[in-house]
Amino acid sequence: MKNWSKLTTALVVAAVTGAPAWAADDDRIVVGFATAESGFMQAYDKPAQDAAMIRIGEINAAGGLLGKQIEVVNADTKTDRAEGAKAGLSVIDAGADLVVVSCDYDFGSPAALTAESSGLVSFFLCAESIKAGIQGVGPHSFSASVLAAVQGATMAQWSYEKKEARSYYRLLDTWTEYNKGICDGFDWMLPQLADATLVGEDTFKNEDASIAAQITRIKSLPEEPDAIMLCTMMPGAVSAIKQIRAAGINSMILNGSAVDGSYWLSAVPDLSNFYVPVQGSIYGDDPNGDVTAFNAKYVEATGGDPSTQYVYPGYVLIDVWAKAVERAGTTDADAVVAELEKMVDEPTLFGPRTFNSEIHHQNKARYLIVETNAGTPAVVDEWTISEPIPVDALMK
Amino acid sequence: MTAILQTVFDALSLGSLYALGALGIALIFGVMRLVNFAHGDVIAFSIFALLWPSTDVVAAVVAGNLPWFLLIPFVLAMGAGLSVLAEIVVFRRFRNASPATMMIASFALGFVIRYFLLMLFSSRPKSISLLPALSQPVEVLGARIPLLQLITILTTIAILFGLTAFLKRSRFGLEMRAAAENFTMARVLGVRANRVIMGAFALSGALAAAIALILGSQTGTADIQMGTNVMLMAFIATVIGGLGSLPGAVIAGFLLGAASVAMQVSLSIDARPFRDAFVYGAVILVLIFRPQGLLAGRGTKERV
Amino acid sequence: MSNRPSIARRTLATPLILSLLLIAFALVAVAAGSKPFNQTMIDIFLRVTLVVGLYVFVGNSGVISFGHIGFTCLGAYAAAWLTMPPMMKQTLLPGLPEWLIAVQLPYWAAAVLAALWAALWAAVFGKILMRLSGIAASIATFAMLAMINTVYSNWENVTGATSSVVGIPIVRTIWPYLIVAIVAVFIAWGHAISRAGLKLRAARDEPTAASASGIDLPRERLIAFVVSGGVMGLGGALFSHSIGVVTPDTFYLGLTFTTLSMLVVGGMGSLSGAVIGVLVLSTLIQVLRWLEAGVSIGTSTLALPNGVQEIALGIVMIVILAFRPSGLMGNTELNWRRAKTADPGASGQPE
Repeated sequence: MKNWSKLTTALVVAAVTGAPAWAADDDRIVVGFATAESGFMQAYDKPAQDAAMIRIGEINAAGGLLGKQIEVVNADTKTDRAEGAKAGLSVIDAGADLVVVSCDYDFGSPAALTAESSGLVSFFLCAESIKAGIQGVGPHSFSASVLAAVQGATMAQWSYEKKEARSYYRLLDTWTEYNKGICDGFDWMLPQLADATLVGEDTFKNEDASIAAQITRIKSLPEEPDAIMLCTMMPGAVSAIKQIRAAGINSMILNGSAVDGSYWLSAVPDLSNFYVPVQGSIYGDDPNGDVTAFNAKYVEATGGDPSTQYVYPGYVLIDVWAKAVERAGTTDADAVVAELEKMVDEPTLFGPRTFNSEIHHQNKARYLIVETNAGTPAVVDEWTISEPIPVDALMK
Repeated sequence: MTAILQTVFDALSLGSLYALGALGIALIFGVMRLVNFAHGDVIAFSIFALLWPSTDVVAAVVAGNLPWFLLIPFVLAMGAGLSVLAEIVVFRRFRNASPATMMIASFALGFVIRYFLLMLFSSRPKSISLLPALSQPVEVLGARIPLLQLITILTTIAILFGLTAFLKRSRFGLEMRAAAENFTMARVLGVRANRVIMGAFALSGALAAAIALILGSQTGTADIQMGTNVMLMAFIATVIGGLGSLPGAVIAGFLLGAASVAMQVSLSIDARPFRDAFVYGAVILVLIFRPQGLLAGRGTKERV
Repeated sequence: MSNRPSIARRTLATPLILSLLLIAFALVAVAAGSKPFNQTMIDIFLRVTLVVGLYVFVGNSGVISFGHIGFTCLGAYAAAWLTMPPMMKQTLLPGLPEWLIAVQLPYWAAAVLAALWAALWAAVFGKILMRLSGIAASIATFAMLAMINTVYSNWENVTGATSSVVGIPIVRTIWPYLIVAIVAVFIAWGHAISRAGLKLRAARDEPTAASASGIDLPRERLIAFVVSGGVMGLGGALFSHSIGVVTPDTFYLGLTFTTLSMLVVGGMGSLSGAVIGVLVLSTLIQVLRWLEAGVSIGTSTLALPNGVQEIALGIVMIVILAFRPSGLMGNTELNWRRAKTADPGASGQPE
């Protein structure tokens, strides 16, 4: 419901025909964004959506998709699930062929479900749970990002191989599925690493005002662990990191991608020995020059640097969807899904992407490793886990 | 031994936060029977006052660069100022309303403050470097604890003694205690109601700001929701301490902190995520056995 | 209680008028014929159900409860357990008992069971909590909500923890929601004119006299608590079908305060107030959203900046409460002859 005049039109049309007011018109190609324009998810959705818009702009400038210009419609979910369902219905009513939904699985799924029940393809901007796909929403749903579990597994294997870490401590923030996903991937990888041991584990809650008790538990270990696998996200992550370092614990800290970005580093001055996996580097040192070129384009479009790597999946999403539409020769959902499921190591700006009929997500991916040393983050390595994480382990 | 000592410090520092929060809520409840749900948002506001309104992810700290002897009074004044403003603009009109109405009004006010901050600063939590010198460990009786933890505990104790002395010795304190005990009678006897209530709001706001300072330097984050959790715990502490009883609120605050830390330490890894369920279960038990609170305030006949 | 039928006849107008009002809203949605608007209306009916459920306890007992949304949570998850396809339960919620995994009911049957499940837990908690009064009771109910929330947020293989549970059949027609809202109104009315409801309100208004005349307050409160818990559970079940996902944090502080605010703004002591509070505030929210999205006046478009909606809502609530401290309806009920009696059956003797 955009405005009063639309309501009036709707009333008239409905009265005359008894049919839905805005029946899909197949001469157009419409991408509908049912994302958060306000509320706390806005901070995550907006950058990824800006990146998606950049890719749409590029496609349109190059002559469009199937010879047509891509049109865009928006609806605000207000970071609310019930509003999310309405936003999904709004963009579908406006003729969307692709429904792009909120970054997070929990907040995006109501809108994705409306797309699924209307037989449309839905893409999560950057969800990292396997349920943001076939296993949760349904067979027409995808996510452009990489599973959280891959991040945990990547950090475990990389630190073992490259940093000779042997004793690990696992600290889980039980707030979200994403956090648990990172630790699940870590748990899956650890037993495969000979002589690596888990010397202790603990949980906390993102909103805890203090994690002093958890830190005391780490400090009472006979010796400091080589690495702490920290499965958490903002805003609690900064607090946890700061408190760990303030207590004088200097172990290597391994993380998920959610703590990428330099915007929070001022809170923990001179942070060192701190590692984050990312899909592309926002620090201007990506081994792929095209990523740096994209960053420049992003600055031009939005007036600011990408703040975290979560900008990138938005670009990938439109990229792979458009390729599938081009190959299928239609925007018909089943045909597009079939083309997407044929993709094996499809090259994108931010690493290869694979989809198949079992999983609409990445259970193995190339990650860049960013090390923060004396408060300055930089890419130091890249790593791809030795084998994909099996679906059973992801669903456990 | 050091581990036990360390745990004691953990419990004391968490308890301090809850105690300060409970005191802020109990002060206002004492003089006007208002359960102030905007308290958590006053906490958030005080910390955001240090930042320049901008939606950039990198917080532009303006007032935060002040030296500490200016920064601390600035933040305290912000909290007190907002709180007094809330009383003048909003709560003054609710003097005779039922507690339920006042409670919802305070909630609505908190809602306005929260969305005002959201509009100015956007929703992404801001990272701040507040009093960074405090983020280093110190040695106390063989336990290495973060300096901030020690300062939190000492500050809380200092505030408690200061406040007690203030309420006991000064004329204003006397008026406030009289008002808390029997508001109508105090008015009849010449206590200037508006002045006392404003004083209570100012103190309560300053206490909220003190929490904001501690949370801000401990977590390094300014988040719009940051006050909520402390406020809820403080609210519970106020009730199980005995509504209207300031010492009760403080004791209950420390007890809650201790209970929370004790559960975290003693529960098995599988049960640990359920920690809060046990804490809240304990709260229900306390209420069943002492519905009037641990230290029932005199003259605080139930009106809710 | 020979005068019960006459109380019923005298006060029947209230639920009838409220039902007509709700039907009128439903017809507007049908006439508009837009899917998102339809969904908005579904939301409104859900809130009516929840706020009326809350009224049954809060309104009649005068005790503010922060815990009722816990029952909504129980109802929503019960509905999810009963209506999801067994295959999905097997993989997503393997901790459920065999028989529950195997069962798959139509949504209306599941909703009835969900309401009973919530009422059962209301009886268990109520048995413990109902001897408390005043703010101690409020805090105890909050502690109950927090306990339910903590358990549902962490019980991985039974509730899916914090992750959204999907696979719940989605119902997008407004009629079931309308019917449930009307049923809730009639249940509330039925309870209010029952012996238990009359006694409870008498005790609320005249505590000393009530205890002198031998009213067993904890018992009357428990009855109201169970009835309202059941209605909250029913609302929760329908909530899960309205968007097809449930998570524990949906049923926590946000919804608690939304429903309480609507009740208090409408008028805590009146059933009409509960319904009017929802309708007025929901309409206000909707209008502000349209303004936020932009309104074309002639050739120019007028749009409010994002976030103004919530701020305006808060201010309007404060202003309403400042001018009408006991809510829009105060203690009066809608009646054919304008607002004559106080609450339904107030003139009837408790005994």
